[in-house]
Amino acid sequence: MAMFALELGLCFVATIAFAIIFNIPLRLVWWGGFIGVGTWAIYSLMPVLGLSLVFAAAVAAFFASFVSQWFARFMKVPVTTFSLPGIIPLIPGSRAYETMLAFVQERYLYGLEQGVETVLQAIAIAAGLVFAFSVFSVGKGVGQRYETHR
Amino acid sequence: MEKADDIMAMCLHAGQLMLRYGSETFRIEDTMRRMGRAAGMEQVNTFVTTTAIFLSFKSPVDQRDHIQMLRIEERYQDLSKVTSVNQLSREYVSGLLTSREVKKQLKEIEEAPMNYPVWFIYLASGIGGGAFSYLIGSSVMDMLPAALGGLVTAIALVRYQMRLKVKFFSEFLASFTGALLAMLMVQMGLVMNTNQVIIGTIIPLVPGVPLTNAVRDLMSGDLVAGVARGAEAAVSSMSIAGGVAVALTIFFV
Repeated sequence: MAMFALELGLCFVATIAFAIIFNIPLRLVWWGGFIGVGTWAIYSLMPVLGLSLVFAAAVAAFFASFVSQWFARFMKVPVTTFSLPGIIPLIPGSRAYETMLAFVQERYLYGLEQGVETVLQAIAIAAGLVFAFSVFSVGKGVGQRYETHR
Repeated sequence: MEKADDIMAMCLHAGQLMLRYGSETFRIEDTMRRMGRAAGMEQVNTFVTTTAIFLSFKSPVDQRDHIQMLRIEERYQDLSKVTSVNQLSREYVSGLLTSREVKKQLKEIEEAPMNYPVWFIYLASGIGGGAFSYLIGSSVMDMLPAALGGLVTAIALVRYQMRLKVKFFSEFLASFTGALLAMLMVQMGLVMNTNQVIIGTIIPLVPGVPLTNAVRDLMSGDLVAGVARGAEAAVSSMSIAGGVAVALTIFFV
């Protein structure tokens, strides 16, 4: 439990540091930190319940993007200000490293396995972002496929 | 009614700043369209890609079409400037500011220094790298080497960018420098978890702005800009991965 609290605290620090790397104004940085903590909590608790990491990444990204859209609407600033630091904890860095190491050491099969998992997790993050974005733009999109309103 | 040329210059300047400092395409088009309409122009059309801005409208005064295109060459990540321009355009559209004031403030935003001094960004890269590395490897002892690596990578990136014109090459060199330092620390026995230290070292280089913008552009129907940004993010990630791979090859083979 203490480990988890330390993880959440460090996640807060990391998210804020990344918000500063992206030059986000200081008054908005803290909100991004809270979103990052929530994202990490979802991402690390869902596998404990027996769900897959990729699905957890998708749900966590959905959470980050959804909350960011609310904050952005509330404070009248671009959504990127919150969603960008919010999804930073989800980056599949460890798997990407394993992939590269395996390819460098010519263990190609293992590398492919890890690479596929890295790509899947990246796609899951994108999917989560997309879902939240779509939920918020109901009724505002562009015409598609059939022109039913004539 | 102001002259159409002035309105054109104002809208293009706002769009230029937003694109240069890393806004998503939809927001740039929306901002320019709203500003043009608020200035009384008709048939406002915009088209923004990752490297250029097009704007056309019809002025009700002289009944002529005006169209201009602007090429954007330099792109940075500075979301606080995007936020400022966004705020400014909101105030203009709701009638709180005149176009003369908007032009003056846009110039101020353009000439302002970065929101944070560059040493503060180096520091944030170090702290961010160290803290993020704990999430990956859960070893408290390795946070210090990771933080040192993140700091050095950020400094290296800025130094290389001053001299090199190709963005991807300076990213490659920066990640190579960082990974080399991390592997040296591993060889000296300062590190328990190699994985954690390498990730903490290169994580400040993550192309976060192009990645999220690519997703959002594709979803809001700006297909050209979305694909271009996606390619930018992919090449960036590949060059960062390449830098690490070269450093690993030197030590592991």
